[in-house]
Amino acid sequence: MDNDLPERRKAQNLSQGELAEAVDVTRQTINAIERDRYDPSLELAFKLASHFDCEIEAIFDPSQNGNDPS
Amino acid sequence: MSDTTLPTVGTPERTRKVYERTVYAIFAVAIIGLLAGLVFNQEYAGTVIYLVGVWLGVGLAYLLPKWSDVRFDDERDEEIFRQASGLAMSVAFVVGLGVVPAVYVLGAAGHLTITSTMWGAIYAASAMYLVWGACYTIVSRRL
Repeated sequence: MDNDLPERRKAQNLSQGELAEAVDVTRQTINAIERDRYDPSLELAFKLASHFDCEIEAIFDPSQNGNDPS
Repeated sequence: MSDTTLPTVGTPERTRKVYERTVYAIFAVAIIGLLAGLVFNQEYAGTVIYLVGVWLGVGLAYLLPKWSDVRFDDERDEEIFRQASGLAMSVAFVVGLGVVPAVYVLGAAGHLTITSTMWGAIYAASAMYLVWGACYTIVSRRL
């Protein structure tokens, strides 16, 4: 699923490992999400949305038509 | 947080790797011990080393995540495990359904001699299918 996680992460000057630690997953999982190779669970999506203080839809684009952050 | 929380080794990622390598090292010692026992005709000692190592490794793999705040796997690891298991079972079912009945019929008709090794493989595969079916039933009732 398309997402703008890399942009949001870099905007906060976080490494993948730091974001992974913040949402309690491995760095590889964050890397896989950013590369659109793994869709996070609803629980992780909520954690990421909470971390970036936004809605889940603002990070993830279910239409897979590219990033469309609001 | 548990009262028995183990200390972390640097970052959580580093701690996870240290714990993983510790468990893998114990498994490696167990396997090497078993093989060394075979090579040096110390089968009993090798078996003891193997059993102690494997159970210690399994025990640590189970208990370390409970004793530590650091996770050893996450949802992606679980998804990888699920998909790999599903793929492995699909291959096993295709091979089993595509080969075993034919081998059995040819053996019954006298066109093929089913050796004890082949029977062992057939029984092992059948047992695996039964276990998978039982696990599937249990899991499907929980979800």
